[in-house]
Amino acid sequence: MRDYALVHVNGVRHEVRGREALMMLADWLRREAGLTGTKTVCSEGDCGSCTVLRAMPQPGCTTDFLEAPPLEFEAVNSCIATVAQMDGSHIVTVEGMQCGAELSPAQEAMKTCHASQCGYCTPGFVMAMSAMLERHNGIAQPIGPQLAANYLTGNLCRCTGYVTILEAALAVKATKQHSVARRYSNPAAVQAGIAAAEQSLLIEHDGVCVCAPVTVREACSFAATHPGFRVLGAATDLGVQINKGKPLPRAILSLHLIPDLYEMKQTRNRWRVGARVSLATIRRMCEESSPELSRFLNLFASPQIKNVATLVGNVANASPIGDTLPFLLISDGQVHVASRPGGKGPLRQRTIAMTDLYTGYKTLALEPGEIITHVSFANPEAKEMVRLSKVSMRKDLDISAVSAAFSCTLQKRGRSRKPPVIESARIAYGGVAATPIRLPEIEEALEGEVTAEKIESLANRIADRVKPLSDVRGSAAYRRVLAANLFRRFGAEVLLA
Amino acid sequence: MTILRDAGSPPHDSANTHVTGASEFIDDRSMLKGELHCGVIYSPFAHARVRRLDTSLACQVPGVVGVVTARDVVHNVWGTIFQDQPILVETEAQYVGEVVVVVGAETKEALVKGIAAVEIEWERLEDIRSIDEAVAKGSFIGHERTISCGDAQAAMLEAPCKISGTLVIEGAEHFYLESQAVVVYPKEDGQLEVHSSTQHPTEVQHVVAKACGLRFSDVVCVAKRLGGGFGGKESQAAPIAAYAALMAKKTGRPCRLVLTKDDDMIITGKRNPFQITYECGCDRAGRIVALDAMLYSDGGAYADLSTSIMERALLHCDNAYSIPNARLRGRVCRTNFHPHTAFRGFGGPKGVALIESIMEDIAHTTGRDALDVRMLNCYGPGHDMTPYGQKVENNCLPALFGKLEATSEYRKRRDSIRAWNSDRSLNPDAHVRGLSLTAVKFGISFTTRFLNQANAMVNVHVDGTVQVSTGAVEMGQGVNGRIACIVAEQFGISLESVRIMATSTEKNANTSPTAASVGTDLNGAAAKVACIKVKRRLAALAIRLKTIPPEFWATKTAGLGTRPEIDVGDGVDVDGDAHHRVVFHHGVVTVTHRDGSEFQIGFAQLVRDAHLNRIAVSAYGHFSIPELQFDKVKGQGRAFLYFTQGVAASEVELDRWTGEVKVRRVDMLMDLGRPINHGLDMGQVIGGFVQGMGWMTTEHLYYNNDGLLVSHSPSTYKIPNVQDTPRIFNADLIFNEGNVVNLERTKASGEPPLLLAISVWTAIRDAITSARSLHTADSSQPIVPIAIPATPERVLRALSPENFEAAENVQ
Repeated sequence: MRDYALVHVNGVRHEVRGREALMMLADWLRREAGLTGTKTVCSEGDCGSCTVLRAMPQPGCTTDFLEAPPLEFEAVNSCIATVAQMDGSHIVTVEGMQCGAELSPAQEAMKTCHASQCGYCTPGFVMAMSAMLERHNGIAQPIGPQLAANYLTGNLCRCTGYVTILEAALAVKATKQHSVARRYSNPAAVQAGIAAAEQSLLIEHDGVCVCAPVTVREACSFAATHPGFRVLGAATDLGVQINKGKPLPRAILSLHLIPDLYEMKQTRNRWRVGARVSLATIRRMCEESSPELSRFLNLFASPQIKNVATLVGNVANASPIGDTLPFLLISDGQVHVASRPGGKGPLRQRTIAMTDLYTGYKTLALEPGEIITHVSFANPEAKEMVRLSKVSMRKDLDISAVSAAFSCTLQKRGRSRKPPVIESARIAYGGVAATPIRLPEIEEALEGEVTAEKIESLANRIADRVKPLSDVRGSAAYRRVLAANLFRRFGAEVLLA
Repeated sequence: MTILRDAGSPPHDSANTHVTGASEFIDDRSMLKGELHCGVIYSPFAHARVRRLDTSLACQVPGVVGVVTARDVVHNVWGTIFQDQPILVETEAQYVGEVVVVVGAETKEALVKGIAAVEIEWERLEDIRSIDEAVAKGSFIGHERTISCGDAQAAMLEAPCKISGTLVIEGAEHFYLESQAVVVYPKEDGQLEVHSSTQHPTEVQHVVAKACGLRFSDVVCVAKRLGGGFGGKESQAAPIAAYAALMAKKTGRPCRLVLTKDDDMIITGKRNPFQITYECGCDRAGRIVALDAMLYSDGGAYADLSTSIMERALLHCDNAYSIPNARLRGRVCRTNFHPHTAFRGFGGPKGVALIESIMEDIAHTTGRDALDVRMLNCYGPGHDMTPYGQKVENNCLPALFGKLEATSEYRKRRDSIRAWNSDRSLNPDAHVRGLSLTAVKFGISFTTRFLNQANAMVNVHVDGTVQVSTGAVEMGQGVNGRIACIVAEQFGISLESVRIMATSTEKNANTSPTAASVGTDLNGAAAKVACIKVKRRLAALAIRLKTIPPEFWATKTAGLGTRPEIDVGDGVDVDGDAHHRVVFHHGVVTVTHRDGSEFQIGFAQLVRDAHLNRIAVSAYGHFSIPELQFDKVKGQGRAFLYFTQGVAASEVELDRWTGEVKVRRVDMLMDLGRPINHGLDMGQVIGGFVQGMGWMTTEHLYYNNDGLLVSHSPSTYKIPNVQDTPRIFNADLIFNEGNVVNLERTKASGEPPLLLAISVWTAIRDAITSARSLHTADSSQPIVPIAIPATPERVLRALSPENFEAAENVQ
């Protein structure tokens, strides 16, 4: 059992214990490590000023450190993750980017392109841009404006209007020599991290305990013996609440040391996704099997969030506007849970259908002591048409007012000019009720011949049927119209198909 | 994406430390031993009385060192224009976010506990939370202001066409990345050293001193750099600094107060919301004959700068267009919201939005293209008098319109948009596009005359390097870089030899805020005055040295005392005397005699010799803008030294299913005179536009029924993201050497570009009008009004009001 989180910051080893381990990484960097280049602005993962690079070596990673450095650095927000959650990570901050007096390629480009004005967002942009270079370093694929923008979606700037920042991202010249992975893949440090990860972690301070076991079995024991425990994944929601005054849960369970939960497997056209699989990984893995999901994940959240946030976390958070939930509702989503009643004996596992999971606002049909280990969903059939949409005040990196998922299977029409015929349909919405919902009666009514009149009449039924609230993201009336219009848009596409 | 840029313009003076993270902001300062973290407790109600306030439990929390309330404030009232705002609530809170208690603790953890232990019992009182309510109840700040010319009412009666309406313009949050922050260090003998993220160090110094019962000479305020300001740190940094100062005075400890983004957004005021009712008369060709407008603004609970903001709004209702008969009236409403304040544009955008919206209305009514209406009404020879009686001189507007019309391919795109909107084969989703080209003519100068002055201190060191201190605050806009460039050019030395020092009230006193776009104009000019004083002495010395063999120069002899000193008095003209021409260039000072003989001396060598001859190589410069003569009572006179002008064309696409807006293309053309640093100016141009674009589209302040701002963080308040930047963004400057009235023939660039983003909003209106007329095949129907910001919900409602009606009627 370890009583410290092991993190390497700019190549320096830190064993972080007690109070410090429960601090948010950004605060710890600024206040304890004296690295004030990393800025905190929103404390909610929405502005990217706190962006750092993070790599977490996997067990059994390559030992050929020079040819293929084992560390893969990605951008993450440091303001909403505790140091304990970063256990096993290698962190590089803006202070670690320079090679002696020489600026890193991203720093040099930001400087010469006038991409920095007041300077407060600048370190975050430097790090986000560096994450882009890490992935595209040495790859022939040129970095175009859209790709660059995708890497910078998680960073806000109020001065430049982004034009010069994009210019910097397109002008930046990186060579293999500049690779952060090469510079920081120190064999001893990587091996030490892997060795430490084989030991469970227990940090206790001021009545709060953080436990990171190495097996699901142990995790379930902790859950059984600590009523009121919370699973801390990426903490992209809980971390925000803590920053805004909510006390830390007394018992925190982290699954980051359980190797099985990093697996994402496809069997018989179903994906089974472990609790530690990030949305970024899902986006990459699903590009072929579920392209609509992959495309949708581009709009959804920032790279910093997607690199750590998980599908299981999105499900467990149970928000009525969880962006993946309508998709899971129409894709035969299932939730796999495990428990160990009394903390002893064999593991008890069961499966809950997504359609049965939510029993009310932010409440799940879980028994005390149960934890979600996996989520699974079906890939769309070849003839199935799937459309996922979300509408928000701002197109990218915003929380939905309304989200929707539609799927239908069309009968083969050949050259017939008759209206299309729907064999089966599924419709799910987020943001129009206390939970994400399916609309079975509309699905049923949609089956059969589709005409413009039918679409219009069902759209009106949807507007009547949903029960949204008015809030900061939109009025109830707007949400009704949106729910109907997203269906109209889908209907128009079906009619053209 | 194409931008015209002078690749050679030097980067921001802090670019190197910005990209490495080494730039020090307030909260990056190391904590000193004993330093306290401060936090604030504020009213949760828009209007409420403090029935009971008990801080005794908080004082007992381990780690809590001090609690400050109104009782600790020596002089508990402040205000930039009217002294009407308490620093800490005494008995009644007037808005959600008004601070009542300040807690100081040794750790952040103790601070949280201390804040939770303060007990306040509130009694809610009736509040005013809209302009309509304030007007009905007669709740105002200051008097009604009027600017008029001709006879608007009489001309209106005669006008062949009339347009009237009400325009709703909501506020906006500055969203500077660095929230309000201050550290106060108590010094010996009761003095305080305040490091504040403020655009106005002098005001912070004064407010802190009064609150603490100190003399102004006991307080120094330093502002090294700001992580963005945009007007939000002009007045509103002062009370924040006072909170930490009061705690420092009470506890004798260094005190740090850094607001969270949430608290910052809840506590501090925003851009004033406006509600404008107007009537405009024009002839059948679309030429305006009269404008009668009543502007109401929401000032919030206290005056702050709202009356000046209203004045600037009234002074910008004409914008680029000649209005022969005008009656423009303005009144600031007192409500129970945070006191609204300066924000880039300072009221100007409200006036401009009004007249640009009227241009669209006129185009719709007369059936002409909106650009033709604008060019018809544009200031030009023979009609160049503003409603406030200042002539528009050095007018580039007609040229700007003409040039952008061509380079943006306005006419061609107008046709193709019309075709695209109506042809389903081009546009299967039936989305709708709009195009609009608007202008800006922004008056440069503070409208309050005494603020148009600045002072600067230039210290030349004996190694030939220079330190410059002015009242200007660097907040990203590049004022330091521009001033450094001016000083380097004056002395003929490299830019690297000039360092701009932190702004501090002990070096530059009685300064004006860095605001109104004139930071460089004023402070750069003051620095130039100081440089010239030094240069005159150096020039005189160089002329003298020309005649003296080097072995007798003071650098060889001063220590021995064998040579008499050279006395140059106040020196000669900077470029020499009757017999000599003196040139400072490339680090060398060259003296050329009329007889052709030449003498050269290195700048550093000359400075060393000056010092050894006991000649002052430091100087203080003071500058004030000449010729301003605006009578605020009559609303007439020369309000501005000059105008910064520009035009922009924006094309938008509206998603008819969701109301989402995409800005497809922007073309901007501005007149910034002869820029000192092209790169910095383009940063202002593009950055200002995108900031304004956010206000026009997605930045929505949402208050709940308690008057609490709910959209108080970036998860709910959506400023533009990198993906929102228009893919085609052409920004360019015209060449104009004619602005002889200003420093180095430059023009101010800070605020004006923001106003060009109004073209995004008018383009949205254009698209909505097109969509509605396609829908009903009736072009005579009135224009659909849409508020600022045109959020997706508002756009969708304007596109399909019938769907909203049905949705609102669902039981």
